[in-house]
Amino acid sequence: MDNMDFSDILASSIHDIKNSLGLILSSLDDLIVNPDNHLADPRQASLLQHEVQRANSNLIQLLTLYKLGHEQLTVRVTDNNLDDFLEEVVANSQSVCKALDLELSHHCDPSLDGYFDAELIRGVLDSTIGNARRYARRRIELNASREDGFLVIRVEDDGSGFPAALTGLLDPPPGEPRDELNSGRTQLGLYFATRIAQLHRNGDKTGRIRLRNGHHLEGGCFELWLP
Amino acid sequence: MADDFSTKSYLVIDDFADMRAAIKGILISLGVTRIDQARNGKEAITQMQNKRYDVVLCDYNLGPGKDGQQVLEEARYSSLIGVDSIFIMITAENTREMVMGAVEYAPDSYLAKPFTKDLLRTRLGKLFERKAHLTQVNQALMAKNYSAALQALDILIATKPKNLAELLKLKAEICLTANRLDEATVILEQVLGVREVPWARLGIGRILLLKKQFDKAQDIFAQLIEQDPNLITAYDWLAKAQTAQNRFEEAEETLRTAVALSPRGIKRQQTLGDMASSNGHHEIAETAYDRAVNLAKHSVLNHPSLFAGLAKSKSANNKHAEALKVVGEIARAFPEQREAAFYAASTSALVKSHQGDKAGALAALSEAEQSLAQLSEFSLSSSHAMEMARTYARLGEQEKAAKLLHQAIANNHDEEEILTEIVQLCREASLEYDAETAIREIQRGLVKTNNEGVRLIKQGEFDAAIRLLSEAAEEMPGNRTINLNAAKAIIMKMDKQGATSGEIQTVRRYVDRVQSLAPNDWRLADVIARLRQLATKGRTDG
Repeated sequence: MDNMDFSDILASSIHDIKNSLGLILSSLDDLIVNPDNHLADPRQASLLQHEVQRANSNLIQLLTLYKLGHEQLTVRVTDNNLDDFLEEVVANSQSVCKALDLELSHHCDPSLDGYFDAELIRGVLDSTIGNARRYARRRIELNASREDGFLVIRVEDDGSGFPAALTGLLDPPPGEPRDELNSGRTQLGLYFATRIAQLHRNGDKTGRIRLRNGHHLEGGCFELWLP
Repeated sequence: MADDFSTKSYLVIDDFADMRAAIKGILISLGVTRIDQARNGKEAITQMQNKRYDVVLCDYNLGPGKDGQQVLEEARYSSLIGVDSIFIMITAENTREMVMGAVEYAPDSYLAKPFTKDLLRTRLGKLFERKAHLTQVNQALMAKNYSAALQALDILIATKPKNLAELLKLKAEICLTANRLDEATVILEQVLGVREVPWARLGIGRILLLKKQFDKAQDIFAQLIEQDPNLITAYDWLAKAQTAQNRFEEAEETLRTAVALSPRGIKRQQTLGDMASSNGHHEIAETAYDRAVNLAKHSVLNHPSLFAGLAKSKSANNKHAEALKVVGEIARAFPEQREAAFYAASTSALVKSHQGDKAGALAALSEAEQSLAQLSEFSLSSSHAMEMARTYARLGEQEKAAKLLHQAIANNHDEEEILTEIVQLCREASLEYDAETAIREIQRGLVKTNNEGVRLIKQGEFDAAIRLLSEAAEEMPGNRTINLNAAKAIIMKMDKQGATSGEIQTVRRYVDRVQSLAPNDWRLADVIARLRQLATKGRTDG
C-alpha cells in the first residue's frame, strides 16, 4: 500500500511539473518567434528552452525507470518507418537547435522499417540530442540503417567526442549506473538508454547501446542497436 | 501544405484553460483559423453533435466525468466524427498504461505532453497524408463493401509505400471481418515470415478460433502471453478459446489476470462478472460488475445488463437490500431505454425470490414477461432471451426456461458463443433440459433444410426452395443464416426471372431482420449489394 501511495504521488507530481514545463515551453516558443519582442539577448531565451527540454526528458526518464523497477512499464513494440520517425524526432528539437545555431538533420533509406516502442525510443533520442547540443560545434545528425540483423539508430555530433573512459566501456552494457563514469554526459541518460534498449528483444537477440567517436561526423556517436 | 491546416476545423478538449490556450496558440501559429474548445467530455460531445470536426485534439485526463477514451468511444460509436476525421489523444506519462489497455477504439495517434509546435505540425501533416491516402478504402468500409475496400487497399499496397506494414495489418483485419480467412492467413504468414510480430500471430490464433480449432488457438494465445505478459488482447482471446472448450474455471482465471493488468475495460469486467457468477464465485463477480458499473457511468457503452449483473451478484452474496437498490437505479440511469424495464423486472424477480418474497417475485416475473413481449416487437435479441431463460431457470421454472433455450438454439444454431452460454446455463442451474442433444438435433435439421434448399435451387425449382426457406425463416425469425439464405434464394430467382417489387420487399425484410440482429454480419454486404443492383435495374427497366 505504501508503494502504491508513493507511486501515485510521484506520478501526479511529475504529471503536474510536466504540464508546467509544457506551458513554459510553448510560451518561450511564442516569445522567441514573435518579431514584436525585442530581447536584449535572444540566446538566453534559447538556453532556457534547451534547459526546460532537458528537465522534461529527465523527468520522463525518472518516471520510466521507476515504473521499470516496479514492473509497471508496458512496452508496446510496433512497426515504424524510420524516415517518418526520425523526421518527427528532429522536428521536436529543431527550434531549440536553430536558436543555439546548430544544424539538426536526419537521413536514412525512406523504406527502412523497424520494430520498437516509439515513445520509449523517442525519449532516449530526445535526451541524447539534448546532451549532444551541449557538445556539438555546428551539427547534430541522426541516421539509421540495418546492420548485422539489428536496426542501428545513431545520434552524432561534430564536437570533441566522448571521453575515452566512456567509449568501449559500455560494451558489454552496464547493468547499473557507475560512479566512476562521472563526466558531463549524465549517467542517468546512459543508464536509461541501456535499460530501454534491453527491453527490446527479438528471438535470442537483445537491444544494446554503444558509444564511439568519429563515425559520419568527427565527434561523439551514440548508437542504439535494436533487434 | 499550409492549406492543409487552414482549411480544416479543430476541436481542442482539455480541462485546464492554460493548456487549451497553449494548444490553441500552437494551432494558430500553424495557420489554423477554425478552432473550438471544450472543457470536459460532456461539452465536447455536445459540440461534436452540432458540428463536424476534421481534427479533434483531446487530453486523456479530463477531470470528473468522461475521460478522453470515453470521448473517443462515444464519438466513434455514435458516428460523431467521420472516418476521415483525425482524433489525437494527448497523453501524460501517468496515462500511458491506461491508454494502452484500450482495445476496441484506438485514436489515430497519441501525442505525449509536452509537445512542441514542430512536432504537432509534422504529426498532423503525416496524418492528413495518411487519411487522404486511405479515403477510398475508408469509404468502402463505411458502406461495408469489403471487396471494394480490399481492391482499393491492394492498389495502395502494390506501390510499396512507407506505411506498408500498417496497410497489411489493415488488410488482414478487413479479411477477418469479411470472413475471408484463407486470404487473411496468407497475409499474416507473409508478415510472420519476416519477423515474429504479435498482432500477426494473434490474427492466426483468431482464425484458428473461427475454424473451431480451439486447442491450437489456445496454444497460440498462451504463447503470446508468455512472450509478453502485458499483451492484454491475448488474454481476452485466450479466455474465448477456453470458454469454447467449456474450460470455464480456466477462462475465469485468465480474465482475472487480464483485469488485474488492465482494469479499465468495461466489457472485460462484465465478461469476468458473467463467468465468475456462472462458476459460482459471487464475490469475484460482484467486484467485477461493481467496477463495470462505475467505469460505465460516463460511457456510451453503459447498459442495464451491467446493473442487472451487479444486483444479482449482490443478492447471491446475501446483500438483498443493496441488490434492490441497484435495481432501482436502472430506471434512473436509462430513462429512455426500452430494455431497462425488462432488466429491472427480471433482476428484481430473482432478488425477491432469494429473499423469500414469493408473491413479489411472481409479480416481477410477469412484468418481465410483458416487457420482453414488447421488446420482441422491435428486436429479437438473443441476450434478452438468455436473460429471461436465466431468470426462469433460477426461479425453478424448468419448462419455460427449456422452451426459451430451445428457441434460442434454433435462432443461433451456428453461433458458437451463444451455444456455449446455453450449455453453461443448463449446467449451472442444473436444468433437466439436455441442451447438447438439442443443439445437435437442431443443427442437423437446419443443415438438412439448407441442403434441400440448395438442391431445389440447382434444379431451378425456385418457388419450392423459397417456400421451404421462408417457412423456416418464419419459424426461426432470429436465425441469421436462414433469413439470409431465404433472401439469397429470392435474389437468385430474380436474377433468372426478373425482379418484382413484392419480392424485393420480402428480401429487404429479411435483410432488415439480420441487420437488427447483427449489423456487422459479414454476409450482409454481398446480399445488400446484389439487392441494390436488382432494385436499380428494375427501375431502369421500367
